[in-house]
Amino acid sequence: MASSAVYLDADENLEAIISRIDQKSRKIETLLKQSKPVEALKTALEGSPLKTRDERCKSASWIVVHRALMAIRDVDGMFNSLDPEYYDILMKYLYRGLSTGDRPTCDQCLKIHEKLTERAGLGCILRSLADTVNTV
Amino acid sequence: MAAAAIHQFAECITCHAWSPDHSMVAFCPNNNEVHIYKFITDKWEKLHVLSKHDQIVSGIDWGRSSNKIVTVSHDRNSYVWTQEGHDWVPTLVILKLNRAALCVQWSPKENKFAVGSGAKSVCICYYEQDNNWWISKVVRKKHGSSVTSVAWHPNNIFLATTSTDGKCRVFSTFIKGVDTRGSQASTSTDWKFGEQIAQLDLSSMWAFGVRWSPSGKTLAYAGHNSMVYFIDDVETSPASQNLALRDLPLRDILFLSERMVIGVGFDCNPMIFSADETGLWSFIRYLDERKVTTSTSRASQLSEALGKLYGQSKQATSSDSVEPSKPRGGAHENCITCIVPLRKGNDTVVKRFSTSGLDGKIVVWDLENHMDITK
Repeated sequence: MASSAVYLDADENLEAIISRIDQKSRKIETLLKQSKPVEALKTALEGSPLKTRDERCKSASWIVVHRALMAIRDVDGMFNSLDPEYYDILMKYLYRGLSTGDRPTCDQCLKIHEKLTERAGLGCILRSLADTVNTV
Repeated sequence: MAAAAIHQFAECITCHAWSPDHSMVAFCPNNNEVHIYKFITDKWEKLHVLSKHDQIVSGIDWGRSSNKIVTVSHDRNSYVWTQEGHDWVPTLVILKLNRAALCVQWSPKENKFAVGSGAKSVCICYYEQDNNWWISKVVRKKHGSSVTSVAWHPNNIFLATTSTDGKCRVFSTFIKGVDTRGSQASTSTDWKFGEQIAQLDLSSMWAFGVRWSPSGKTLAYAGHNSMVYFIDDVETSPASQNLALRDLPLRDILFLSERMVIGVGFDCNPMIFSADETGLWSFIRYLDERKVTTSTSRASQLSEALGKLYGQSKQATSSDSVEPSKPRGGAHENCITCIVPLRKGNDTVVKRFSTSGLDGKIVVWDLENHMDITK
């Protein structure tokens, strides 16, 4: 994972990714102000830069997802309206959150992880561990 | 319960195979021997012990028409056993491998067999009448890592392999003098030996258990990332379906019919997959009905599981974690590694099959009464 050399993604370059994440961040702030945390999380998870290896992009994306995750209060309600296609990528971000070691982040991630495992099963955890191509 | 019979043969079983009339079963009890048991009156009797290998026997296949047993082992050798009277006579097959052999399968016509190995190669062995021995032709430099499983297409020429590099490949194994051109469709006869027909890069994780459907139209294999891949028309225009599993990964699969697949693996319970009329595959249900355990019996189950885990051989899936998180009470108590069909005569639909696993059990499943499954 070269962080010094600029890795040109096959589909879009890094600047485009960063500007996209900035746009997402603004949209998420508005959604949170309107008390729509689930929508915010969906926006954050959608279109995440999974294929790129550049650490800056991944960090930027993580910051945005983290913001949306910490704003969730009603975990069960969130899962009722979150589509199953987001489960795998949410699980990957949860593990990133757990790896930070930061107390409030870990508490929140653990809460969501418990419910997500109930919903999605162990296969979801396995896929987040096994997928070395799409990383967060 | 769909399980017709449960037999505890050993501490742990690596692989197994049935005789053509299903009266005898051959398996490796996780050592260098092959035990053959026969069901006489009301219990299983050990008839033969085939011990020629030096290390674990990793693959056994029993030819349905030829009644020959082929075994491969981690000692890089393979033996073809022929029954003469009351004894099984071994014939060494020199595979020219420098790593362990991992899996073996007879071709549909049983004139060839394929061996997958840790040497990143596949050996295709055929019988040479003139010299009265088996010759091995090796397909090298095509795989990135160990070949975990092999499967023959019904046309006796195409071979599908899965590997720990995550890819599934299809090769032609046409051998002059053994296979005949012209009698099959033109597409399958233009390929030379060892030529790669297709490479499927769907899984980023180890791939296991590749199988063709009875007609050879569909190919299916399991990925270690808890996914099952179904691919149609591999030779012409591959169209794949990736099915994400809810639970733990599969180790082996079996086609019951064109549209029904059974998968077995770390959940210790066979899973049923079915395709609807449009060809869309989906998971139907687990085959075994589990009894839900109460909290009081958990403690006794925990100590029972502890005893089993410490007493089990090195091939057990986990020796560190001890918590049995799933309620036991099903037929298998540990990972199922091998599934073998029990075909009756010329049936195209498989209604009986057997599974063996790391718990040392061989379980025979009968779907005759499950009409909702078999179409």
